[in-house]
Amino acid sequence: MSGPSGETVFAVEGVRFAYPGQPPCLDGVSFEVRGGERLALVGANGSGKSTLLHLLDGLYFPGEGRVAYLGRPLTEDALEETPFGPRFRQEVGFLFQSSDAQLFCPMVEDELAFGPLQMGWTQDEVLRRIEDTLALLEISRLRGRSPAGLSAGEKKRVALASLLVLSPSVLLLDEPTAGLDPRSQSLLLEILEALHARGLTLVTATHDLTLLPHLADRVIVLSEEHRLVADGAPERVLADTDLLLAVNLIHAHSHRHGRLVHSHPHQHVVAHEHVHDHGHTHED
Amino acid sequence: MTALPEWLRPGARPSGGVSPRPAAHRLLRRTLGAMGRSLALLVREDDGPNAGALRAADPRAKLLAAVGLIVVATFLRGMLPLAVCLGLTLALSVAARVPGRRLLPVLIAVPLASAALMLPATLNVVSGGSPLLVLWRTAGGALGPWRLPEIVAITGDGLLVAGRMVLRTTACAALALLLAATTRPQQLLGGLRSLGVPQAFVMVLAMAERYLAVLLRSAQELHLARLARSVAAIGVRREEAWAAAGVGAVFRRTRALADEVTLAMVSRGFTGEVRLLRPARWQRKDWLLMAVAAAVGAALLILDRRLA
Repeated sequence: MSGPSGETVFAVEGVRFAYPGQPPCLDGVSFEVRGGERLALVGANGSGKSTLLHLLDGLYFPGEGRVAYLGRPLTEDALEETPFGPRFRQEVGFLFQSSDAQLFCPMVEDELAFGPLQMGWTQDEVLRRIEDTLALLEISRLRGRSPAGLSAGEKKRVALASLLVLSPSVLLLDEPTAGLDPRSQSLLLEILEALHARGLTLVTATHDLTLLPHLADRVIVLSEEHRLVADGAPERVLADTDLLLAVNLIHAHSHRHGRLVHSHPHQHVVAHEHVHDHGHTHED
Repeated sequence: MTALPEWLRPGARPSGGVSPRPAAHRLLRRTLGAMGRSLALLVREDDGPNAGALRAADPRAKLLAAVGLIVVATFLRGMLPLAVCLGLTLALSVAARVPGRRLLPVLIAVPLASAALMLPATLNVVSGGSPLLVLWRTAGGALGPWRLPEIVAITGDGLLVAGRMVLRTTACAALALLLAATTRPQQLLGGLRSLGVPQAFVMVLAMAERYLAVLLRSAQELHLARLARSVAAIGVRREEAWAAAGVGAVFRRTRALADEVTLAMVSRGFTGEVRLLRPARWQRKDWLLMAVAAAVGAALLILDRRLA
């Protein structure tokens, strides 16, 4: 069912979504995701990035508008149909922000087996895939461990393994590097780059702009008013300081140079240069 | 730049007030710590290299054997058959290499707790019988339609009733522990499911087994966060009130976590039925285990009837 590279995988059309009794957290959002693309959804906290990922995974359904996967609308009825429902769950993996929520089985091995067993695959096939996936992510030693006793980096790798074992063609990643130490973060980014090189479509929700060069070929920006306000290449989006300030992804930063208090927009991804009235230039 | 208020500088103190006593908070900290240690014992990481043969048996066979013997133990009335049942269970636990750190707490806590509950049963006013030790004498008389006893004493019959209950609960707890210590939680749950226990019940047990540790850590973090901001002892009553409020906060987190776990399961194709890796299959040794358990149960019942 997964489409070839370049085909529209997800089509989001005029989506409006609100949690019960709350104002909308997505308002008239439209865009497309193409096969093999690396798309980042960026926005400040509460802008609706995670909710949008839940909609793409068919876990929530829009109040208005529609979300379609390979041309077929994602509705509760459609996801309960065979073969569309199981195939969608196999092809689209969702890495949750909280690994504790994602790892619900007593042992790492059971965690990896959960998805394939739900698909009705044979025991031999499931065991073979578990072995290969654990080896791929270099976590074979964790096979008999309880997820509760793992470090944050190990949990994230097990969570990713529990998706990869299903051989998905799309990965939805919700703040994938949140709470990881630098080594775990770097390892995860390497794995994701390798997966993308294999042709996987990656859709990542993040508010960490430093990740964009590693995770995205295209960026969609959500405003604090929950609307899509920009869609383009990472370099173009990151260069638009006014936009980033307006959506609260960078901030006006003040600091002192001697007795002089100095303000400028500040972000941690693109070095900026400025000249001070006492003569020297520095990068921040 | 934001101007900070004058009082927000190192060493600044408000004028007036009284010096607080340092906070203790030991009760809650100890309780949470003890719960954490108990849970760590419950959630076993792996079988280890010396796993006994009993671990390899079909979980359904073990479940049926253990439940059958627990039912037999509840019917036993004699001290000797109960002691034999407990002795056999302990011997089997040692043979199955159940670690002492799991066995000992049960062998200490269960008899003590059941003995405490059965203390009233040792008295003549509850169980009757001839007094062995008089605790105090009363003036007798009557309270409305009820006649008051002239003495309150520990009786032989009362000791027998209490002793029987202590032995019975210890034997049942040891059997349950033997089952839990030789069966992986997931296999145990799969066994329950294949024996016809409803899916919803099994799922609740599975989630409880997985998330108790997460929720306990959440409670410990709440407690530590409060401890970090506490400068004065607040007394047991306010400590209890805080603990009650903390339960509410943990409950809210539990609900949020439960919602997220459900979504994570659905996202990976869950449709309501748990499917197991390496589902257990009945083998000859499993039938043998069932037959031995049935024979032991029958022998204990016969011994009990003969001694009665």
